[in-house]
Amino acid sequence: MFGEHAAFIIPSYAVSALVIIAMCVRIMLQYKAQQREIARLEKAGIKRRSAK
Amino acid sequence: MNETTTKRKSIWDYANPTRFLALADRLIPVLGILTAFCFAYGLYLGFTAPEDYQQGSTVLIMFIHVPAAWVAMMCYGVMTMSAIGTLVWRHPLADISLRAAAAIGASFTFLALLTGSLWGKPMWGTYWVWDARLTSFLVLFIIYLGIIALAKAIEEPTMAARSLAIVTLIGSINIPIIKFSVDWWNTLHQPASVSRFAKPAMDVVFLYPLLLMALGYSLCFFTLHLMNMRNEILKRRIRTMKMGAARMAERA
Repeated sequence: MFGEHAAFIIPSYAVSALVIIAMCVRIMLQYKAQQREIARLEKAGIKRRSAK
Repeated sequence: MNETTTKRKSIWDYANPTRFLALADRLIPVLGILTAFCFAYGLYLGFTAPEDYQQGSTVLIMFIHVPAAWVAMMCYGVMTMSAIGTLVWRHPLADISLRAAAAIGASFTFLALLTGSLWGKPMWGTYWVWDARLTSFLVLFIIYLGIIALAKAIEEPTMAARSLAIVTLIGSINIPIIKFSVDWWNTLHQPASVSRFAKPAMDVVFLYPLLLMALGYSLCFFTLHLMNMRNEILKRRIRTMKMGAARMAERA
């Protein structure tokens, strides 16, 4: 489909897609982990000052 | 209406992290959907465009190389504004914005360097040359890595914020150097072909997919940036909670 330059086009798209998707996934997983951590701390009776 | 009800919305209203989080929660899904739409339509137009008479099918690489390079520079622009926000106004979100953008900017810079190099081999006959545009872009990548390392190196938050802001401001000198490198020096890299005062030096069959992909990349950046800012706020919240707990345990 990409002719003689497929060896350059395919890696360009593959790595770009991979890096962008990896960024999304990493940031989303971090968000979930932090939400869990806050829930755990709140369950342990630790509150933020502003949340009193 | 009295004065209190007509109060103008300003960036200071979002200095309150809880209010900012509520806004981010609303914006992130919308931006995500717009990003997906731009990517889908941009890729469709790109892959159905004819081959370029000089570049052949490698013109496809341009649809991801140019947007990545633009976003890499735009991200540094956002970080520079955040640095000014930290140093001049001490806006609480400015440092959060700077920190949240650094890794994203580094990733887009890496993609611009990689895709540029993969385009260079078939078109220029080499993966890399030490010309002004390529070298200044590599310097941008190194500056991003330096900022990420510095962000992790300093524990004390106020000191860290100021140091990061100062280093970011110093590094911003590289942005005009990247932009004008193709005019100031005789580079292998071509000069600007889209953002010119005259008509862009490109046919619409290539210009439209390129602009759509550029919009997609920019929206993708803003989505990821907001998501990462939200993470940074939660990280600080967790830190505050843990410190409060430690103080309470000490008193007990």
